Amino acid sequence: MNPSLKLALITLIALEVSFVQVWTVNVVLIVVSLLLMLINRVPWRRLLLLTIVPLFFASALVWSLMLRGDASTHFLIVIFTRMFVYVYMGGWFTLTTKPLWLTRSLEQNAKLPSKFAYGFLAAFNLMPKIQAEVSTVRAAALMRGEVLHVWSPRLYFKVILAAMNWSDQLAAAMTSHGFVEGAPRTHSLTVPLVARDWWLFCGSLVLVQVGLFIGLP
Amino acid sequence: MATVTVQSLTYTYPKQDQPVLNHLSGTFPADKFSLLTGVSGGGKSTLLKLIAGLLPNADDAITFDGHPLSSVAPTQRAATVAMLFQEPSTQFTMDTVQNELRFALENQQVPAEQIAQRSDTALAFVGISDLKFRKLMQLSGGEQQKVALAIIVAMNSDVILLDEPFASIDPPTRLVLLEKLVALCTDRGKTIVLADHDLSGYQQWVDHLAVLADGQLNLLSTAETQQRFAAFTPQRLRLSHVQLPTDQLTVRLYGTQLGLAHGDRQLLTPQDLSFYAHRTTLITGPNGSGKSTLFKALVRLGHYQGHIAYRDTDIKKLRKRHYARQVGLMFQSATAQFLNVTVAEELALSQKYGNSTYFTPERVQSLLRELNLDGRDDQVLYSLSSGQQKKLQLLCMLMMTPEVLLLDEPLKGLDYASIQTVMAILTTVQRELDLTLILISHQLSGLDDLVDLHLQLADKQLTYQGVSA
Repeated sequence: MNPSLKLALITLIALEVSFVQVWTVNVVLIVVSLLLMLINRVPWRRLLLLTIVPLFFASALVWSLMLRGDASTHFLIVIFTRMFVYVYMGGWFTLTTKPLWLTRSLEQNAKLPSKFAYGFLAAFNLMPKIQAEVSTVRAAALMRGEVLHVWSPRLYFKVILAAMNWSDQLAAAMTSHGFVEGAPRTHSLTVPLVARDWWLFCGSLVLVQVGLFIGLP
Repeated sequence: MATVTVQSLTYTYPKQDQPVLNHLSGTFPADKFSLLTGVSGGGKSTLLKLIAGLLPNADDAITFDGHPLSSVAPTQRAATVAMLFQEPSTQFTMDTVQNELRFALENQQVPAEQIAQRSDTALAFVGISDLKFRKLMQLSGGEQQKVALAIIVAMNSDVILLDEPFASIDPPTRLVLLEKLVALCTDRGKTIVLADHDLSGYQQWVDHLAVLADGQLNLLSTAETQQRFAAFTPQRLRLSHVQLPTDQLTVRLYGTQLGLAHGDRQLLTPQDLSFYAHRTTLITGPNGSGKSTLFKALVRLGHYQGHIAYRDTDIKKLRKRHYARQVGLMFQSATAQFLNVTVAEELALSQKYGNSTYFTPERVQSLLRELNLDGRDDQVLYSLSSGQQKKLQLLCMLMMTPEVLLLDEPLKGLDYASIQTVMAILTTVQRELDLTLILISHQLSGLDDLVDLHLQLADKQLTYQGVSA
């Protein structure tokens, strides 16, 4: 499916299920997302992680609501399943969409200014650098007798400083390879946006509406 | 073909009063290979960035065949001038070589059907067709510079600027790149300006020399250029009392079948290696051969093969916190070391946790005076010059007095007087506190007094040099 439409679809559905309380629709969405991930051969370990982490938070949330005692069982089930809807749909999207393909699609199909599209991509490509920077800062601190924890402001001060430096470097790198803000570009690869994408998009949305309508008390 | 003309260019960095470039004028002729030289921090990078249009420059002091860059259509600017950076990894936006080439050519509005072909031709020209699908961040510095050159070739830029492009790459790669640059210059009529403060190894390649000093540019004729090359003698390493390690020395760090790799390139083939206590060991070897990678492995900041033991215990079994106080690293980049905002705060941190019986406040003050750093307590670390940062960084790490101190290019970017002071301080502190120092330095003069042992990295092997005692 076209990445931009895919992004629009999961955003719309996520927005909708956060307002409407129909747990059956939630369950259907969970099953569908899970199936889509299985078809796309998402590794089992990933799936397990995607299940255990929200299970912990969802259970904790439901448990605390039960202790306070004024929420109905229906509401608890909705809350519990909603957490999984978000995580599984998000998982399906991120694990089956390549960032560069999404960037190209946002630029070509959604007509997003290329500055945002490539800025987003460049930030994504910085991730491994940020991880390396964090470990360097922590090591530098240890050598000076200071232990920086994940929550130490000093750690973030240093990393933000480094990131500001990178953003200048990145701007220079983009300029030197010919990128000019707002200038027209050609596209070596065209992201297809065909009738099938629109059918899938509209069809899925309609199905969710029907489900919500039937499911409403 | 394009001649670059600079007319009375003055440039001052924001928030500074002294201009870096002062009414500078000069010409870089078309289809010639010019070498731009001058001391570190003299404004070579600034000039190149201004020519490349990477720094804003309101008045049109720089022209290409008479036209300022601002009059060139935005999408054609990269075809006019392009730059290869000093730090190889910082010049890419995309993840793979192929995608970066596509990105650059799309920016130039090259029709989609021509992009693949132009990319392949450029990669073949530089001789790196096999890197096409590789991830950029997994390539070595030398490979990244080759990719950056291939991109410039694909963009077909008229003027090619290179800012100390060989600072972190090995000699064979440097040779390949120089050959390609000369070919671009003679066969395709490109204007090439390369900045480097070290003149060794350029004589046969370069048409003429441009010297940047005190904000002024001085272009030498061919004859003058040859004279200058002939007069330039590369720094030589003179170590008079270096000996091979003997059995009497205590081994402090020991590597068992220690090997190092960058991506899939092996830097050090597994070997047994000892570092000795209370001695100063100098490690030399070509750029990009793995010296800094070895230091990172020794402080557990990078991957390595085999085992490293500190006082006979595997360093992976030691508590990180404890080990970091025993074996410290002075990073090559000074700002990586700093954790605070002002000079006083940074010194206070070292005072708090370091060896405060030797480094009393009085002694620290006198050292600061020697280093010309006194009276700067409230100055923000990041507003110090790179030389001042380097000196402060060294002092902060010395004050910590770890058992073993690794120094990665401690003299980088320092002027002659500072080098003398720093070496004197290092030698005194090493003797008085009986420290173990291991250092990497490209700056070779003035090391003689300090260095006891010399490890050379060549052909992926580290071997001790010198005569047996």
